[in-house]
Amino acid sequence: MQSRHSVAPVSLTLPARRHSTFRIVWSILFILTFLGSYRLAQVKPLLLLEPEGRRNIRTFVTGMFPPDLSWEFVSLLGRPIIETIQLSLMGTFMAIVIGLPLGLLATRSLTFTGILNEWEIVDSRPSVFLLRKGTYLLARAILSLFRTIPEFVWAFMFVRAVGLGPFPGVLAIGISYGGMLGKVYSEILEHVNPGPLEALQTTGASRVTVLFYGLLPQALPNLVSYTLYRWECAIRASTILGFVGAGGIGQQLEISMRMFNFNQVLTLVAILFVMVAGVDTLSARIRHAILDRSVD
Amino acid sequence: MYVLDGICKVFDGRTFAVRDLDLKIRRGERVALIGPSGAGKTTLFRILNLTIPPTSGTLLFDGLESRHFSGRRLRDVRRRIGTIYQQHNLVPRLQVVHNVLSGKLGSWSVWQAVQSLIRPAELDLALGALKQVGIANKLYERTETLSGGQQQRVAIARLLVQNPEVILADEPVSSVDPTLAAGIVRLLIDLSETHCKTLLMNLHSVDLAFAHFPRLIGLKNGTISFDLPAAAVTDEHLAALYAGSGTEAAEEEIVSRAEPSFGRSCQPHLTG
Repeated sequence: MQSRHSVAPVSLTLPARRHSTFRIVWSILFILTFLGSYRLAQVKPLLLLEPEGRRNIRTFVTGMFPPDLSWEFVSLLGRPIIETIQLSLMGTFMAIVIGLPLGLLATRSLTFTGILNEWEIVDSRPSVFLLRKGTYLLARAILSLFRTIPEFVWAFMFVRAVGLGPFPGVLAIGISYGGMLGKVYSEILEHVNPGPLEALQTTGASRVTVLFYGLLPQALPNLVSYTLYRWECAIRASTILGFVGAGGIGQQLEISMRMFNFNQVLTLVAILFVMVAGVDTLSARIRHAILDRSVD
Repeated sequence: MYVLDGICKVFDGRTFAVRDLDLKIRRGERVALIGPSGAGKTTLFRILNLTIPPTSGTLLFDGLESRHFSGRRLRDVRRRIGTIYQQHNLVPRLQVVHNVLSGKLGSWSVWQAVQSLIRPAELDLALGALKQVGIANKLYERTETLSGGQQQRVAIARLLVQNPEVILADEPVSSVDPTLAAGIVRLLIDLSETHCKTLLMNLHSVDLAFAHFPRLIGLKNGTISFDLPAAAVTDEHLAALYAGSGTEAAEEEIVSRAEPSFGRSCQPHLTG
C-alpha cells in the first residue's frame, strides 16, 4: 500500500491547463475600464500640492485651531446631539420595520424555490409558483428602489413634504436603510446551513415554522451584526441629512461651514467622532452578548 | 410501506444519481442499505422522505402516489416519515428542548410553534424522549455545546417526539466513535422492534448491517446490486459491490469480513 503510493508515476497526460477566452476578455475589459476611469475622473493628486491648493488647505486647517469651546457655542449643541442620536435610532428602527418583511419576501427559499434553495420541489403547481415568484420579484424591486435613491435625496423630498426637523430625516434613513437591510437580510437568510432546514422540513414543518425554528436562529448573529453596523452608518448619515434641513448636528455643521467658522467645524467633527466611536463600542457589546451567550 | 417502480433521479440533466430502481419495503421491515460512497444511497433516502422528487418513475408511500402530494397533504405524509442524518442536522443555536420538540412541527400550528419557542410546550414529551436516549440532564443546554454522540441522541429524541411510521437513518453513526455507534444502532433497532416501525438504514459498516438487519440491499452506481436476506449475502456479493470503488475503507471492510479472526481495531493495511 505504502510503496504503491510513493512510486505513483507522474502522469504523462497532465490535464491541459485551460485558458478560458471568456476570462481573458473580461480581464482586459476590466483593465481598460480602470485606466479609462482614471483619466475621465480627472484624478490629479498633484493638484493638492500646487500653491493654490496648499493655500486653501492652510486657511482651512489653521482656521480650525483652536477649536471653539466657548460656552455660548457648546451650549447650542446639546439639543442637536440628542436629536442626532434619536434620529439615527428611530431611522434604524423604521428601517427594520420596512426591511424585515420585505427581506423575507425577497428570500428565494421562502417564496418560490424549496426551503433548501432547490429548483425542483415536490410540491410544484405552476400557478402557485408564478404567484410566489411574482411576490419575490416585486419585493426585490421595491427594496432596490428604496436603496438606490440616496438618503440625501429622500430627505430632500421629505423636507418638502413634512417640513424641516428630524422627522424627514427619520423617514429618509428608514426608507433607504430599509432597502439595504432587506437586501442583506435576504442574502443572509439564503446562505444559512441548509442541513437543519432539510431536517425540519422532513418532520412536516411548513415554511413559516422552518423560518422560526431553522432560518432565524441560524441567521440571528449575522442579522443583528449587520443591523448594528447600519445603526453606526445612520449616525453618520444623520449628519449629512442635517445639511438639507433634517435636523441634528449636521444642521449646525452646515451653518458653521457656511460662515467659515472652521474652529466650530473642528469641535463638531470631534463630537461626531466621539458619537460614532461610542455607538461602535456599544454595538460591539450587544453583539458580544448575543453571539457568545453559549460560551460561559 | 414503500413501492418504488423505475425510479430515476438525474442531476443537472445528465448525472444519474439513481437509475431505474425497483424496490418494495413492507411495513415493519428492517432493511440495511450498503454500498460505496457515491452509490446514490443518500439521494435514495431524500427521495424516500419526499425532500426531492424523482425525475421519473413512481413512488408509492402506503399506497399513495407521491406525485399527488402537495401543501398540507405533503406535510402530513412527511410527518409519517422520520429521518436521522449523519450530521445530526440540528439547529446549533437552539436549546436542546426546542430541537427535540421540533419533531412536533408537523402537527403544531405556526402559532403553537412560535409560542413554544418562548415557553416550551409539551415539556413532558421532550423530557421523556431525552430520558429514553439517556441525556435528560441536557434539556436546556445549547445544542452546539453537546458532543457529536450527544447531538445524535438529540436527533433521535426528535424522532421519538415526531413518532413516525417509517424511520430513515442515513449513516447515523459515521460521525460517532465506534463504541457509541453500536449503541445508537441498537437504540434505533429496539425502537423499530418495540413500536413496529419500518426501519431503513444506510450503513458504512458492513459488520453492523450483518449484525442487526435481516435484509440487506447493496446499492452501486445508483442501481441495486443485490437485495437479499442477510444470510444469503456472500463475500462475492460484497466484493462485487465494492469492486472498483477503490475506497480504502471499503476494501478494509471486505478484508475484515474475509478474515474475522483479525482484530478490527489494529487491522494492518494489507490491501495494497
